[in-house]
Formats: sequence, structure tokens, C-alpha cells
Amino acid sequence: MLIVDDHPSFRATARMLLELEGYEVVGEAPDGLSAVAEAQRLQPDLVLLDVNLPDIDGFDVASRITTDDGAPAVVLISSREGADFGPLIRRSGAKGFIAKADLSGSAIEELLACG
Amino acid sequence: MRVTGLRPALVAIGGLGALLTALAVCLTLTAQHYELRGVNAAITFAVLVGYIGTGLFAWYRRPHNRTGLLMTTVGFTYFLTVLTAFEQDVVFTFGVLFSNVFLVVALHMVLAFPTGRLPTPGLRRLVGATYLFSVVCQLAFLLVTPDWCPTCSTPLPDNVFAVTDSPTASDAILIVASVFATGVLAASATVLLRRWRAATRPARRALGPVLFTGLALIAALTALFAIQAVDSSGTVVDVAAIPAMLAFAALPFAFLAGLLRNRWSRAGAVTELVERLGVERASLTETLAAAMGDPTLQLAYWLPDPGKFVDSTGHAMEVPGDDDPVRAATMVERDGERIGALVHDRSLCEEPELVGTAAAAAALAMANERLEAELRARLEELRESRAKLVETSLAERQRLERDLHDGAQQRLVALSLQVHVARAKITSDPDAAGAILDRARDELNLALEELRELARGIHPAVLTDRGLGAAIAGLASRFPMPVQVLTTPLARLPSAVEAAAYFVVSESLANMAKHAGASHATVRVARQNGVALVEVSDDGCGGASLEAGSGLRGLADRLAGLDGRLEVVSPPGEGTTVRARIPCESS
Repeated sequence: MLIVDDHPSFRATARMLLELEGYEVVGEAPDGLSAVAEAQRLQPDLVLLDVNLPDIDGFDVASRITTDDGAPAVVLISSREGADFGPLIRRSGAKGFIAKADLSGSAIEELLACG
Repeated sequence: MRVTGLRPALVAIGGLGALLTALAVCLTLTAQHYELRGVNAAITFAVLVGYIGTGLFAWYRRPHNRTGLLMTTVGFTYFLTVLTAFEQDVVFTFGVLFSNVFLVVALHMVLAFPTGRLPTPGLRRLVGATYLFSVVCQLAFLLVTPDWCPTCSTPLPDNVFAVTDSPTASDAILIVASVFATGVLAASATVLLRRWRAATRPARRALGPVLFTGLALIAALTALFAIQAVDSSGTVVDVAAIPAMLAFAALPFAFLAGLLRNRWSRAGAVTELVERLGVERASLTETLAAAMGDPTLQLAYWLPDPGKFVDSTGHAMEVPGDDDPVRAATMVERDGERIGALVHDRSLCEEPELVGTAAAAAALAMANERLEAELRARLEELRESRAKLVETSLAERQRLERDLHDGAQQRLVALSLQVHVARAKITSDPDAAGAILDRARDELNLALEELRELARGIHPAVLTDRGLGAAIAGLASRFPMPVQVLTTPLARLPSAVEAAAYFVVSESLANMAKHAGASHATVRVARQNGVALVEVSDDGCGGASLEAGSGLRGLADRLAGLDGRLEVVSPPGEGTTVRARIPCESS
């Protein structure tokens, strides 16, 4: 898994939580452009992607990452609610959205199983 | 404008002129070698009286305009030609030598009209060369022509300058003189026509009579020189000289006619202006424009606070300065107070009485209209400040949302995840769970502190509860550099004024901490004459401005909503003072 978020404290806590639930976190990225580069380099199965990034937004990053066949699944996250973003999540190519406060391994599994 | 001592000097010149005129008429009437003495005497009288009289009158009315001086000079130089009436050879010869100078002065006057000053270096060179040439050429002619008028029926006094008799050289000099004179006249005609084409309508009214009489004189002289070059003797030249002489004699009367027409039309226009302003609600601008003959006239109303000119719709208006070549402004005052300005074509500056009288007649009407213009300007300002307030409030809300999202919300999200992890570990690894919960508590404290800061930024509770003094003292104590609070008002101010004053202090201090490199700051808030005066000063690097930072600009907009003003004094290297004045009539 690749975790993309501009807040280091969130990246560290999310890594701790997901590793505790059995996920392997292969990398982290603080902004959109490095997220696209790291996704190509590390070839993760899943990208946990924050919507609000300092350079390009998460929707744009998601559509860049998910263009190729065999691209990783992308799950968008934010401290806002998914309803705030309307149809943007679906259009971006991401599998779905999880509010940061609800983040857990089971929430991710549930989302991927539905998708 | 009057020049001290001018009047007696002009009276003396006038006396001398009268004396010379009488002498010239007597000499002309009694000159044995003159033909048509009566006609000659009448022309001499008309020219001398016309030029010297009109010149002195113009000189008196416009002491700083050289047209009067030049016109008087034409009269006096014309007297030099009358020296040819003397029977004495030397005097006669000098009369012949200088007999063309008056024409050059007349040309000088026409080219320098209406200011009396030649406007370009090229024209100054042309006129200077013509003066020199008129004398040098005549001297050369006299040197080689002992009998300079062989066709004259009456014998003339002797030419004392003649050194040889060379008809060939004499003819050559005449041809050169004619070619030179024709060139100068063509150049002058071009200059005058260009000036006419470039002139505005009011300027044409002033230029017209002199310019066209001047052109007529140039045309007649050109014809005369052309004829002289072909046939220098006989009656053809005498006949050709008549229109030139008439145009020359008419020139001062054309000037006088123009001046009188202006005076009559001015008197009529101003009388009509006063009447119309009294009984009609016609547009003041149109009425003044008609009275002054300048359709481009604009009115500028002066608003002492904030010290700017506005038009009748209340929009800010630039008034032309002294260096503007096309437009000029005449201030309108009433009881020593500036009411506004008439913005008009610069050529009207040549008629200061007209503009001054119109300005005086319009002062009362403008004073009334100024109230309306002021009201419109205030409305315009209010409209602008309302729009800015909406913008500022929107920007403020966006900033709040961003601060909440990036700050407390992130910390609470992390906190939620940390609690989640700690819960998972609480049985398998209680120590790790304890450490995570410690971090979670730190995160929670930070989130609380950020929320407190944010709440203060929206409206500090202490300001509502305890007033401006306590809120500013709290702000100063939390500040990372020493802040001395000199005075704060003891009594409470209206809450909107207190809030605005508080944010002036907090934003100014925040700016100083960020940009000024200051070691010390002072804060002073006082209530004076219904105005809350807020002053924040530091000893930093200076160079701050209202335009440079969005924070100060936002403050200024916020104050404008309360009719307040913000001022930043920040010379480089000498610290910064931010000063706000907020009206607070009710408390």
C-alpha cells in the first residue's frame, strides 16, 4: 500500500494502524506529483490517497494513476465527508471514499469487496 | 495681475509715442522729396497711433504677455522709416538702412501671437536671421547703389554709404533679398496654417483675427517681393505695395477688434450666465461652457475630506496641473474656501478675466452642486466598501474553513485513529497502547489550543466581556516580542468599534512580528473628539504599505465599513506606525 497525505502525523498514524491490521505499507508521499511517481515506481496494490494535496488534488492524481491496465486500486480519504465531493469521487477512477476518522483495515476491505 | 510701476512707464512710452507721431506727421507733410505727402502722412499717423496705442493697451492689460511690447515696438521701428523724410544725407541714409525693420518686427509679432513668445528654437532662429538679413542686405544694397531710386521724379538726398556704383551687384542683391524674403514668408505662412489646424475651438476664436490679417500681410508681401524681383522700378511696385500696406495697417485693429469682441461677448456671456444661474436649473456645466465658449469645459468639485476632486456623479477626477499643455484648471473659491475647479482648454488662460469672472459667478451654484456631488461620492464609497466587505467576509470564511481543516480537524482525525490503534493494542501490548494514548492526549491539547486561537481570531471573548483594554493587554502578553500598551480608553466603545480597533492592533502586531524585524512595539488607543484613534508603532525596518499586504488592505476595507480610515507611515529604516481613525459618536 502507498499512503499519500500532506500531514506527516496522519501518515505515521495511518501506517501504524494499517500495519497493525496486517497491511504492508511500501511507501508514503506528501503531494500529488510524488504520489504519481511513487505509484509507478513501487507498483502497490492499493493507494490510500488524500483529496486535499498542496499541488494537484487527489481526484486528478487518482485519474492519472488509474489510466493503465493493472493499475493499483485507489481509495480516496479526507477529513471531510464523502458527500461533500458529490460525483467527483466516482469520476476520478477511485474505488471509493473513506472519511479519515473511519479509516481501518476492515473499512478498506469492505469498500474493495463492494467495488 | 498687475506689475508695479508699469502704468507710469506705459504713460511715458505713450507720451513719447505721441510726440514721435506728431513729429512724423510734420516731417512727412513737409518732406520735399516725398510724393503724395498727404496720403503718406495719413498712413504714418494710422500706423503709429494704431500700433503704439493698441500695443500699450495690450501691454497694460496683459503685462506678462509680450504681444503688447512687440506691437508697440512695430510702431517705434516704423518711425525709423520716417527718417527718410529728412533732407540731411546721413539721417536719410540711416532711414533707408532701417526701413524694413518694422516689417520684421510685425512678422515676429504675428509668429509669436498669442503669447508674444516664439514657441520653438527653429522659429527663434528664423526670426533672428530675418532681423539680421533685413539690415545687412539693405546695407549691401546701399554700398553698391549710390542712386537708389533712379525713377523717383524728385531728387533724393545723397546715399552716404555708397562706395561704388554697380547695377549688376545691386540687381543681384535685390534678387537674393527677394528669394530670402519669399522663403521666410512661405515658412511663416506654413507655421500659421499649422497653428490654426492644431488649435482648439476656443483657441481659434482668440487666434483668428490676428492670424488671418497676418496671413493676408504675408500674401501681399510675397506678391510685392515677387514683383520687385522681376521689375524693381515703376508704378507696378507702388501698386503692389498698397495691399501689403493696408494689411500691415489693419493688423493692430484686427487685434483690437478681437480683444473688443471678446470683451463684449464676455460681458454678455457673464451677464447671461448670472441670469441663467439665478432663474434656471439648466446644467451648470452647459451654461458655463456656453459662457466661456469652450464645449470641453468640465466641473470638478472639491471634497476637503478626503481631499480630492470628484465629478458631478461623485467619481474621483484628476485635475490638470500647470505642466499640462492642453488642459488647465481654474480654482473656484467662495469666502476663501475652495469649492472646486473649472477644467478648460489651456488657451482660455489668455483670457484670465473671462475665466475668473465665470468662476466667481459659478461659485454659489457650484457650492450647492458640490453637496450633491459629495453625497454621490459618499454613496459611491459606500457601494465600494460594501462590496469589499462582502469580499473580505467571504475571504475570512474561506480562511477559517482552511484553518479548521488544516489544524484542529487534522489533529482530531489523527486522535481518532490513535484511539483506534490503542484500543487494538490495549490487551496485547498495554505499554504501547499507553504510549499511543499519551500522544493522543498531546494531540488533543494542541487541537484545543488551535481552536482557542481560532475563536479569538473570530471575536475574542475577553473583548466582549472585559473590553478593549483587557483584550489588548492579553494580546500584548501573548506576543513573542515586548509590546508596551501606552493607553487604552477606560470607558467602553461601541462593540463594532472595539472589534475593529482590536483587529487593527492584532493584525499590525502580527505583521510586525512577520516582516518588520522589530525588537519592541507600542500600542495606543484613545478616544478624541468622537473618534477612536488607534496607533501601533514598532522600531523595525519600515517599508510597509497599505498596498503591499492583503492583511492591512483587508483592515482598511473593514474600517471603511465603519467610515474609518487607515494610514501606514513606514519610511524605510525608521520603523512603522499603523494609525486608524474610527468614528464612534455613540457609546
